[in-house]
Amino acid sequence: MTELRDMPAVMEVCDQLLKDVGCDFVALALQNEVGPDVRWHFASGNENDKYKRITVRFGKGIAGKIISSGSPMMISDFPNDIYGKVTDHPIMLAEKLVSCYAVPLFFNGSPKGVLLVGKRRTYTFIDNEQEMVKESAETLEQILKGHILGGGA
Amino acid sequence: MVHSDSKQLIQSYIIQSQEDEIKRISLELHEGVGQNLYSILTGLQLVETGLNQPHLINYLREMTQLIEKTIQEIRLLSVELHPPALTTLGLLPAIKSYIKLYTSTFGVLVDLESIGEEKQLSEQNRVAVFRVCQEALTNIAKHADTSNVKMSLIWKENELKIMIVDFGGGFAADGIEINPFSLGIAAMKERMLLTGGHCVISSKIGEGTSVEISLPL
Repeated sequence: MTELRDMPAVMEVCDQLLKDVGCDFVALALQNEVGPDVRWHFASGNENDKYKRITVRFGKGIAGKIISSGSPMMISDFPNDIYGKVTDHPIMLAEKLVSCYAVPLFFNGSPKGVLLVGKRRTYTFIDNEQEMVKESAETLEQILKGHILGGGA
Repeated sequence: MVHSDSKQLIQSYIIQSQEDEIKRISLELHEGVGQNLYSILTGLQLVETGLNQPHLINYLREMTQLIEKTIQEIRLLSVELHPPALTTLGLLPAIKSYIKLYTSTFGVLVDLESIGEEKQLSEQNRVAVFRVCQEALTNIAKHADTSNVKMSLIWKENELKIMIVDFGGGFAADGIEINPFSLGIAAMKERMLLTGGHCVISSKIGEGTSVEISLPL
């Protein structure tokens, strides 16, 4: 797969989203070209490089649930009121996030990526911020279509 | 004394029963559900070769991918519950296999070294040591704020010693009794005591945490 760090347009969208939402962290996970693995390919505002080694587990944690359900999700006060165990949310642990909002990226009609924004404090993302994340996800779908998934085939 | 002995036996029995059940579920997932899904996957791949309508081929590919993801998750869940290597190959291969899964789950790198010749342990002791190591590593992912862990297994003539050192934030050991994760630590110590071994945890704020496990051979 093309390294996303070599795609300035992707970095620009993520960096801009970080500023517009006023969050601490933005990350993008995508399904690999071959096989079912979904990995975090790009992050902005990260405190370490753990995200590069994390493979998203299908159906587990916020990213895994989004890939399996295709619906946006929010956590406002991690680790309180979460789905599953604390250890099902490795990106929250790795980046010490307390709140996040994430949406799916669709390719060829299926959820194959996740765009996540997070803060290191308790927070509920308001409608306007949620809309900004969704719009950025749509922009990324357009940029990545053809580059990542072989034209969405 | 008699009371304490029977309490220990009951604790061992409860732990053993839980481990047997975990192993059964793990095998059911891997050999039962996993195998069935694999049969469905190969069936779908065969059906795909006979299709010529592009929208159906695309739909089938999506279904195939969904099953692939589910098979992978079932396999990981099964390994997480009870790594097959623990029964078939021994403690060290099971730890190596778990570390791979641990790094890909939490992004934390583990530098593993084994000094001396690996000795055979009873299955009960193998499982106990493995679970204590698993708990120590999970605690690191949850609380330590570190990207690196050093794990050393030292096989001596009469003793196995395991050191797990993180380079994270550490914690104040005196306040540990009132911390909710102290129950996990107490369980680690108790589990090693039941095998006749020990588990010692030391930590200082800013200097990381070390877990030392010892088991008589």
